[in-house]
Amino acid sequence: MIEVVDVKKSYKSGDRQVDALRGVSCRIAKGRFAFIVGPSGSGKSTLLYLLGALDGPTAGTIRVEGRELTAMSEAEQNAYRRDKVGFIFQSFNLISNLTAVENVLVPFLPRGIPDGMRERAERLLSEVGLGDRLDHRPYQLSGGEQQRVAIARALIKDPVLVLGDEPTGELDSKTGDEIYRILRRLQAQHKTTLVVVTHDRRFITPDDLVLEILDGRLKDDEPAAGSDPQDDLAEAEIGL
Amino acid sequence: MGRFAWRNLLTLPVRTALALIGLSIPILGVMGLFSLSGGLRNMVGDTLSKVEGVMVLRENTPSPVFSQLPASLGATLRTVSGVRVVAPEVWGIAPNIEGRNMIGGLLAGKGAQSLFDQPVVQGQDLVPHQQLHSAVYPRALKEKGEGRFLTAADVGAPHIVISRKIAREYPGPDGKPRKVGDTLHVGGKPFQIIGLYETGSMLLDVVIVMDIATARDLLKVSDDMVSSYYVETVNPTDNDRVADAIEKAEPSVEARSMSEFMANFGALMGQVDKFLLMTVSLALLVGVVGIINTMLMSTSERFVEFGVLRTNGWSRGDVLALVTLESAFLGLLSGAVGSALAMVGVAVANQFVSGGVRLAMPPWLIALGVGLSVVTGTLGGLYPAWRAARLVPMDAIRVGSR
Repeated sequence: MIEVVDVKKSYKSGDRQVDALRGVSCRIAKGRFAFIVGPSGSGKSTLLYLLGALDGPTAGTIRVEGRELTAMSEAEQNAYRRDKVGFIFQSFNLISNLTAVENVLVPFLPRGIPDGMRERAERLLSEVGLGDRLDHRPYQLSGGEQQRVAIARALIKDPVLVLGDEPTGELDSKTGDEIYRILRRLQAQHKTTLVVVTHDRRFITPDDLVLEILDGRLKDDEPAAGSDPQDDLAEAEIGL
Repeated sequence: MGRFAWRNLLTLPVRTALALIGLSIPILGVMGLFSLSGGLRNMVGDTLSKVEGVMVLRENTPSPVFSQLPASLGATLRTVSGVRVVAPEVWGIAPNIEGRNMIGGLLAGKGAQSLFDQPVVQGQDLVPHQQLHSAVYPRALKEKGEGRFLTAADVGAPHIVISRKIAREYPGPDGKPRKVGDTLHVGGKPFQIIGLYETGSMLLDVVIVMDIATARDLLKVSDDMVSSYYVETVNPTDNDRVADAIEKAEPSVEARSMSEFMANFGALMGQVDKFLLMTVSLALLVGVVGIINTMLMSTSERFVEFGVLRTNGWSRGDVLALVTLESAFLGLLSGAVGSALAMVGVAVANQFVSGGVRLAMPPWLIALGVGLSVVTGTLGGLYPAWRAARLVPMDAIRVGSR
């Protein structure tokens, strides 16, 4: 279960104060496929990155599987990102000097690759259809193939949560469809919670949870005067 | 992580090569200068090891060429306990040889080399000198020379013994080096060469040896004066004690054993080494700046990569270690290249240097060069590494994507 309670995020952009999130509360059940949608600059990616402990909120709390991210030390956040969360980016963001299998094993490079993890990486790459491209460098792979490596990298740690930031944003529609098919298959297989930021609503199915953000707030989540943010949690769960 | 860092370094080979050149040249400089300094130490050490006695000079004079002592002092020196032979000598810078002098050498464009090559005249009191066991020139003539050395029969005669080097530098009318039996004009006077010696030391192979009376006449030194005394002790291991005893008996003189010469020279070279180190430090500083520049460019282009690593659980320390490792590898490579160049340079230079100077590249110097390079590389990488490590992952990805 992911719980986001009255999360605000502000930052400075030059002399200007930007309120990216203005009090977002939501709850995402374990194993759900959730989409964060909304116009550009609405705060979608900011919320996603906060869920991944890539940055801290200005106010509010975020709990993942009962652990409060905002209360974690930096070392605990590093461990959380290493062991519990997988990221998939729009631009794939593979490391150009590493092969496909090494990219999948990136989380383990500083402390050594645990026994059996290389075999697991090879298995995951086979599952995404890249069993014959283990030793290829990113420049030797197409965009769709690179994104599949990124998916395998996100899943190598058997995460409780996978976060995707426009994962098909740089792919053609056919390849985008293929990526979502892989994501849904692997999510069902690994029982992982997926939260994906997207502009493209055609990938959303009726079973998915949709969090629509507008101007830093969840749509249909305008705070009434004196309301308790906890009351909003269930509303976000409604989905479509 | 080591392999990853190594590959990152090879991603942009031209940039890496330029940074490598920037650091390997100062390292080459460090090793070359220390090699030269070591070579000079070796040369002086070898030279002094040939001179086993005690030199007695006027106090505070750097060389017998500038020293003057009374001829009567010899009698006092002979009374000092442990002294076996006291051999008076007259020294002086050689007047023009075959019409050429030191100023001419300087003007001829030989520069400082002409100062090192400037011949000097040594007039020996031949009778006591023949009693010496440790006389340098007779031994050098016997081992590598030709002709004969001066004997008591040469007293007052215009006979000289010169080095093969002088024989080469002042060739005969046919352009060939002077031979035994040839005449050499020194100070406008003809001298017959009766022997050629070769010590192999550039400090010793500049001496024209002749009888003391002949030298006095040539150098205009009065009969009651000498330049120095070469004192041979009964037991060479006793030299330092005898030198102290001589200085006590005659406070106006300095008695220097060769170990004292060596210690003084070592102290002088220590100062030279410090100066060299300061000079080379500036070059190293430029090398560090080059590494900082290279690593800053490299890290600035890799913000996204660092952001991705952080999203995958890499700590700030891990990113810091990665970038520092890259710059340390760059230092290691530069050290290896600098050392290899220095070894080649020393091997080539040894083909051309003479006069007993042997440039050396001992293992400790290679270790120093490589170690210095690794430290320099690591230091140069610290700031870029710190800058990369302090990036907030989200900002790194956003900024890097732009």
